[in-house]
Amino acid sequence: MDLLSNTVALSRLQFAVTAIFHMLFPILTTGLGIYLVLVEGLWLKTRNPDYYRHARFWSKFYVLNFGIGVATGIPMEFQFGTNWAPFSEAVGNFFGSVIGFEASWAFMLEAAFLGIMLFGWERVNPAIHYLSTILVAVGANLSTLWILTANSWMQTPAGGELVNGKFIVHDYFQAMFNPFMAVSVSHMFLATLETSLYVVGGISAWYILKGRHPDFFSKAFKIALATAIAVAPLQIYVGHLSAEQVYKLQPAKLAAMEAQWETSPAGKPANWSLVALPDETTEKNAWEISVPNGLGYILEFKQNLTNPVLGLKEWAPEDRPHLVGLIYYSFRIMIAIGFFLAGLMAITTLLWIAGKLSPSNIAQQKWLMVGWVLAAPLGYIAVESGWIVRCVGRQPWTLYGQIRTVDSVSHIPATNVLTSLIGFVTVYSLLFVAVLYFGSRIIRKGPNLEMPIPGMEIAKPAVDTTPGEFIPNERPAEAQQ
Amino acid sequence: METLTYFLPQVWFVILALFLFLYVMLDGFDLGVGILSLTSGDEERRGILMTSLSNIWDANETWLVLMGGGLFGAFPLAYGTILSALYIPILTMVFGFIFRAVAFEFREQANRKFFWNVAFGAGSFLAALGQGFALGAVLKGINVDKSGHFIGTTWDWLSWQSVLVALTLIQAYVLIGSTYLVWKTEGELQLTHYKTAKTAAWTTLLGAIFITISTPIFYESARDRLFQRPLVFIFSVIPILGILLISRLVTSLDRRQERAPFVWTILLFVLTFLGLGLIVFPYIIPTEITIYEASADPSSLVIMIIFIGFLIPVMLFYNLYQYIVFRGKVTGRSYGEE
Repeated sequence: MDLLSNTVALSRLQFAVTAIFHMLFPILTTGLGIYLVLVEGLWLKTRNPDYYRHARFWSKFYVLNFGIGVATGIPMEFQFGTNWAPFSEAVGNFFGSVIGFEASWAFMLEAAFLGIMLFGWERVNPAIHYLSTILVAVGANLSTLWILTANSWMQTPAGGELVNGKFIVHDYFQAMFNPFMAVSVSHMFLATLETSLYVVGGISAWYILKGRHPDFFSKAFKIALATAIAVAPLQIYVGHLSAEQVYKLQPAKLAAMEAQWETSPAGKPANWSLVALPDETTEKNAWEISVPNGLGYILEFKQNLTNPVLGLKEWAPEDRPHLVGLIYYSFRIMIAIGFFLAGLMAITTLLWIAGKLSPSNIAQQKWLMVGWVLAAPLGYIAVESGWIVRCVGRQPWTLYGQIRTVDSVSHIPATNVLTSLIGFVTVYSLLFVAVLYFGSRIIRKGPNLEMPIPGMEIAKPAVDTTPGEFIPNERPAEAQQ
Repeated sequence: METLTYFLPQVWFVILALFLFLYVMLDGFDLGVGILSLTSGDEERRGILMTSLSNIWDANETWLVLMGGGLFGAFPLAYGTILSALYIPILTMVFGFIFRAVAFEFREQANRKFFWNVAFGAGSFLAALGQGFALGAVLKGINVDKSGHFIGTTWDWLSWQSVLVALTLIQAYVLIGSTYLVWKTEGELQLTHYKTAKTAAWTTLLGAIFITISTPIFYESARDRLFQRPLVFIFSVIPILGILLISRLVTSLDRRQERAPFVWTILLFVLTFLGLGLIVFPYIIPTEITIYEASADPSSLVIMIIFIGFLIPVMLFYNLYQYIVFRGKVTGRSYGEE
């Protein structure tokens, strides 16, 4: 089992590397798309130029992410053919169609209206422009719908059966609305939105900390916060529903998520493992700290389990997921981040209600702002961890319980895959550095508050802007440094 | 039911051909402009070239993503076999796409633009090269067993014929890219691309002649079909029409017309595509597997007509709409601020 000459392992690794890297970019475009709809709506409603400038400023991050999202998304689609040809042939009837739906429903819509959203401010009227912004957000989020539908179907295949190695669909709607679909789509929709809100909140907090346009950015901060009040707790609930589904439909994955080697019988309490060192050779945890009787409360909000929680040893080693430690810790990291973000939201909301976030004193909440800055990248880590749990935990299957990963790989020489894998790692490392560099440049440069407002520059004389409003807001912030 | 199993794959063959044609035409000029940017010395000009694409490059590329998804759903066997057989050309194209896609935004942001200029131009070239080799290899035929699985080797796609097709495709992209720039730019820049268009018209013609002659000589399967009635009439008309169109194109370039060269080039693409489509049909993995053998379940093809086919007019409409929004000459280095 030498990795470098193993086409299966290399193809898996390549898919993992390209998927993990690709995922970083659509997160922000799908979530930020909704945020841009909010600020542009506020601009059209209030005609406050600040909201227009927010729309222009945050769309810079959209476009930065979008190009790389497209560039790294194309290898995802083509890899099914190049590296997973037998899988493609077996599941083309349903899975292939859905990939096609994603292109026709989502990508094209987003691509066609993005140009108008970014460059069309002076070329179309405000209503058409707003419609374009909405359609961009709809397009981006339809990608989430279709790709999560496809992936959910791989997790809980429904609507047909394998006949001679090919999946024949009897009922397309049953396949689309497979058991995982609704919860998984919601979980991912909320994940991209939540991550984006904390990115917007974190970047705004950074400006507030630095005393750069604190009034301007406290607006962005509060829009993000107000949306997070709804999103962060809901995400914890939907995440719980998702775990319950795994418990019922993919017990081997749940066992790996909890590093449970032995079965916990029904009708009795079971411990919930908090920290452990899973050891796959001895099939037990080398050491472990657990919460007594915790598992029943976590899964069902009561002490005794209704159904047994099966242990990994119930399955033969070739029929259960490996890399148990990775699955176990990824799951815990995701949960910890989910609760941290919700907690940060709760504290911030309390301070907001107490009137501590008004433009004059928001900059005094130094530690709170530092917390938000630190929270900015956490959503990404949670999303990636969640995908690792979902897809590493699905092993050894590509189509759960029906097609094995080892039978899904193209019959191509390992050296081909190794070469392309090295190519991806090299190019993606370069892109990662570049995007961080250019992203931080956009942040350091800051918003252009001098930008003319479309349709307004002629109507108002240039002197008319009220400079008196800006000076008092700038002063306290500068005085603090 | 019996007729459906013939009719539905044919419908999907036509839809996929349409997607591929739209892709080759639209991303063709896109990639062509990218390749042309390699020859452009100064930043100002390169800025205009990239600006002329900045609002459309992604939608153009999406036609390929759509074609890929459609092929995956409609002919899963072909999707797996062709892509895994053409591992190196496909990956070459994919890396080319990555470089050129990120170059749009990174170049805009960067102080030192050299690296991203090269990424844009070389990425466009790599993508075109990969596509050319893939097309050449598919036309030549993919080595498969009776059930349509690839049994060839890693370098099967490389032959003098595929080199010829790749070079010709690059020329054709440069041609359509030049005529697009003739339409969208003015002054010095326009003048330059009248010249590049003319050169590319001749080199494309040369490549096309070689391919047209060599195809019936070297490919038995094509030969049998090409010289049968009624196809033989169509195939004898295509080269004549092609030469006619080329002469119209060259004339319009000499007369310094602005839009006509682009239109003539598109018509040339339509003609070539028709010719290639007729050579390939009814095969989806030339020269062994037909569309009937490789197609998905009829029910899948019907669902895909509902979810993808019915959207085609809508997609065409809003793509056209944004071309209308951004009509006119590109003069500045950017459509947006700064």
